[in-house]
Amino acid sequence: MLTKFETKSNRVKGLSFHSKRPWILASLHSGVIQLWDYRMGTLIDRFDEHDGPVRGVHFHKSQPLFVSGGDDYKIKVWNYKLHRCLFTLLGHLDYIRTVQFHHEYPWIVSASDDQTIRIWNWQSRTCISVLTGHNHYVMCASFHPKEDLVVSASLDQTVRVWDIGALRKKTVSPADDILRLSQMNTDLFGGVDAVVKYVLEGHDRGVNWAAFHPSLPLIVSGADDRQVKLWRMNDTKAWEVDTLRGHMNNVSCVMFHAKQDIIVSNSEDRSIRVWDVTKRTGVQTFRREHDRFWILASHPEMNLLAAGHDSGMIVFKLERERPAFAVSGDSLFYTKDRFLRFYEFSAQKDTQVMPIRRPGSTSLNQSPRTLSYSPTENAVLICSDVDGGSYELYFIPKDSIGRGDSLPEAKRGPGGSAVFVARNRFAVLEKSNNQVLVKNLKNEIVKKSALPIAADAIFYAGTGNLLCRAEDRVVIFDLQQRLVLGELQTPFVKYVVWSHDMESVALLSKHAIIIASKKLVHQCTLHETIRVKSGAWDDNGVFIYTTLNHIKYCLSNGDSGIIRTLDVPIYVTKVSGNTIFCLDRDGKNRSIVIDATEYIFKLSLLKKRYDHVMSMIRNSQLCGEAVIAYLQQKGFPDVALHFVKDERTRFNLAIESGNIQIAVASATAIDEKDYWYRLGVEALRQGNAGIVEYAYQRTKNFERLSFLYLITGNIEKLSKMMKIAEVKNDVMGQFHNALYLGDVRERVKILENVGHLPLAYITASTHGLQDVAERLAAALGDNVPSLPEGKTASLLMPRAPVMCSGDWPLLRVMKGIFEGGLDNIGRGAADEEDEAADGDWGEELDMVDVDGLQNGDVTAILEDGEVTAENEEEAGWELEDLE
Amino acid sequence: MAAAPDHLFNLRNNFYLGAYQAAINNSDVPNLSPDDAVERDSLVYRSYIALGSYQLVVHEIDASAPTPLQAVKLLALYLSSPENKESAISSLKEWLADPAIGSNPILRLIAGIVFTHEQDYNEALKHTNAGGTMELHALNVQIFLKMHRSDYAERQLRSMQQIDEDHTLTQLASAWLNLAVGGSKIQEAYLIFQDFSEKYQMTSLILNGKAICCMHMGNFDEAETLLLEALNKDAKDPETLANLVVCCLHLGKSSSRFLSQLKLSHPDHVLVKRASTAEESFDRAVQSVA
Repeated sequence: MLTKFETKSNRVKGLSFHSKRPWILASLHSGVIQLWDYRMGTLIDRFDEHDGPVRGVHFHKSQPLFVSGGDDYKIKVWNYKLHRCLFTLLGHLDYIRTVQFHHEYPWIVSASDDQTIRIWNWQSRTCISVLTGHNHYVMCASFHPKEDLVVSASLDQTVRVWDIGALRKKTVSPADDILRLSQMNTDLFGGVDAVVKYVLEGHDRGVNWAAFHPSLPLIVSGADDRQVKLWRMNDTKAWEVDTLRGHMNNVSCVMFHAKQDIIVSNSEDRSIRVWDVTKRTGVQTFRREHDRFWILASHPEMNLLAAGHDSGMIVFKLERERPAFAVSGDSLFYTKDRFLRFYEFSAQKDTQVMPIRRPGSTSLNQSPRTLSYSPTENAVLICSDVDGGSYELYFIPKDSIGRGDSLPEAKRGPGGSAVFVARNRFAVLEKSNNQVLVKNLKNEIVKKSALPIAADAIFYAGTGNLLCRAEDRVVIFDLQQRLVLGELQTPFVKYVVWSHDMESVALLSKHAIIIASKKLVHQCTLHETIRVKSGAWDDNGVFIYTTLNHIKYCLSNGDSGIIRTLDVPIYVTKVSGNTIFCLDRDGKNRSIVIDATEYIFKLSLLKKRYDHVMSMIRNSQLCGEAVIAYLQQKGFPDVALHFVKDERTRFNLAIESGNIQIAVASATAIDEKDYWYRLGVEALRQGNAGIVEYAYQRTKNFERLSFLYLITGNIEKLSKMMKIAEVKNDVMGQFHNALYLGDVRERVKILENVGHLPLAYITASTHGLQDVAERLAAALGDNVPSLPEGKTASLLMPRAPVMCSGDWPLLRVMKGIFEGGLDNIGRGAADEEDEAADGDWGEELDMVDVDGLQNGDVTAILEDGEVTAENEEEAGWELEDLE
Repeated sequence: MAAAPDHLFNLRNNFYLGAYQAAINNSDVPNLSPDDAVERDSLVYRSYIALGSYQLVVHEIDASAPTPLQAVKLLALYLSSPENKESAISSLKEWLADPAIGSNPILRLIAGIVFTHEQDYNEALKHTNAGGTMELHALNVQIFLKMHRSDYAERQLRSMQQIDEDHTLTQLASAWLNLAVGGSKIQEAYLIFQDFSEKYQMTSLILNGKAICCMHMGNFDEAETLLLEALNKDAKDPETLANLVVCCLHLGKSSSRFLSQLKLSHPDHVLVKRASTAEESFDRAVQSVA
């Protein structure tokens, strides 16, 4: 038994699998219904409206519905998407044991302790039939998967099969007049639309469960007499076929397995038993320590079973579904049923090679676990759990591929695992004394070698070397030197995949992938939340792997991502270009074509093959947030720039990569203060005074603008700034500008105008403006301030900058490797202007203009050399701007 | 079989497969027992001899060194110049007669090598036939093959296989034998060399081995590629040159350059000698007709 999921809870009385999603419903004795995701192992939802134990629960096949029935006599129909109960069906007069949707009609069948079975129409929300006849509690009732039959089991020691054909006819063609007449009769005189077809008597105690076979006319039942009975029926009668004895207490539930010829039953004796339908013998028994089992459920499509017990439930499968396989160059050898098969990747040709097991010897979980192939000797080693672990060595016949059913003689031996280690040598693990036996192809021991760690499995690791796995580590061991070549701490490794050149190895554990070098030097570890299933290396050294529901990739630096989702688990055998070859659970070879662009792109970036990256950007539709974020994170904002359409992101990337031109264009498009400010900061850093000026103008940051003019020595604009400040009534600004300009007269005027006469006087007299000073002194009267003695004042004038007007020498922006190459793609207009990179200011302004500045006046003032444009117009702008 | 790790494994393997420089470079193995250390030194010195550095060996091994190293020194002396041959052989015989050291396997091995060089196979076998180490067995196989007694060689090989079938020397010896026997055995020899080339670094010995198998199987194109690869590794290797001569002849290409190269560097090589004797007899035949 392979347990996939386990929960701890109150006693589980009802279970139901969802047909598509990895969900299971568990109804508890406490009255709660839990919805679990058994793949992720999470509780998705709980439904708590029943009063008392809920014994029956069932998912609808296609609608987002499920039905439940409890000890409160209520049948509830729920919508799990809306998280609520849609309606309640009332009618039963005692505990409800089971409920089930019909696979086709809008019907529900329910079994109750009131000795009746009822069929309900959940669309009209009415009871359409009451099946009476049992004279004790009805413990279970279910529809036949195809025919118009219902089977029920009761504590009256019988199993009954009911014919509901009349009910179906009535529902399907109610327009028929004659039928309607008869229907009235039946409505008046009680249910003749559901009649007992067979009464199966044979159990000595109450029967707890009865179930149909999915395709054959068989019924299986389990009862308090501790027996499981198998019944067969034909058109006219039904009879007991056999009895399966073994349970030590009441049998709670029993069912046929959908895909194998087996019966699964569980019981209050704390065991689950598996029986062979044809031989009618017990095959396997699984026991729990303390918990009695109450219910079983099987997945409608997958090979999954679930069982509910006293303290929770388990989801499990009986057999491994991974086919054993080995890849060698262009060929794949794998096992399917009892045959060894051969698949040629290039020709996609599948052939049966030879039988490897006697027919009928299929006991559970004895199928081949691993397969190892020696191309030179054309031999395979197949390991399985038969006899507690053993191997079989087969030589593949050269001529008789595909024909013959006779079982070839195999060389056998016991051993935990066996692999070829050289052309004509294989190693067999002897767990008991922790050594490996190296054998030749005659199955003779050539030598023995003790292992350095307590290994429980061995894998191939290059000629003469073994990879030994222990609970918490793996080591590579050289059989000849008896030396450990490498060791790595890992979680429990399940599969080992070597790259083509044997330089790298991927170690797959349940939830992790570890990539290491051939000496087991750790390269990266990836953690998955769900199970890792298989993997293969592609030709570029990218590891492609599958989880339960995804195909993913992993680069050598640990970057990974999803390639696509999967409906069913697959086992990757080989990756060739963008084709993934794989085996599915039915042992069929499939090839899946994937879009490898994303990981090839990342790989090229990683390997610094920028020409490749560039052509990929040009030619393919690579886009999306993920790629942008990736590029940014990996330090390629300039590349990311070429993918982005969103202006804000574009602006951020442009600033990050120092691409002023694009930043200007984006800032113009966004036109928000914060963006202009950031543009100004970056432009200042690069020394692009023109853009800085533009940015300040856009944000109307006059103080900064003035200061910029000051340090760039742009006297003319500075005096214009003064005028603007005057118009704006910004006295402080006006004063600053006057100060910057060294215009004493102006300063005095400003101070005088705002009433700071003493200050004005001091300023005037200090700088020798005698006439003004006298006038002011007169105005001040007695309050003329005294000037400090013995100091000669001098006018502080800013020095003329070396580079007067225009840009400073620009900071060299690191040109991306892609510069130039990418200009012509992506964002048409804006990118084309890149070509004018570092062009003169005028041109760039034009660009800005082109990019859609609405206010023509603004540009007018910005035009270099047009400082003294018509004053009226200027003033017009300023005033307008002030509004 | 002892479970202790074999520290000298790589060193030995490199030496056996002709990766002499690698053997010398990787000879610094820690934690060696005294016996292992002597074996290590003898392997290193023999590698130097194989590389032609005879004087280095003669100078480095002084009188206080243990017998095996003295024997190695003798081999270096013997090979260094024709004048020393006589004295080397006489002291070798003297030591072999000494009961205290006469049975030392390395001394016997060196004796075997020296007498094989002298083409005195009987004398060589006298010392090596008793066996004792894998190297002695392997030398026996080689001597028997030189004597064209593949039946005896096979017997020797079988005893080697009983000791350790996967030993490099066993594999190598069986490849030699397979080559000598020919026929369907060639394929096996090829696989052995193939295994070597997958597992260890390519040496001109392995490449030549593969090439010879290819030539035996009539696959001269592949043989040429292999041989040219070997020539890249060591442009003066006489075996590579000799094989190339043969290969080129079969491919219809001119072999004269390789042949003259071989004549210049190794005037006493078998191929050169046989070619010249053949030429002489041809000349004689021409004269008799003329």
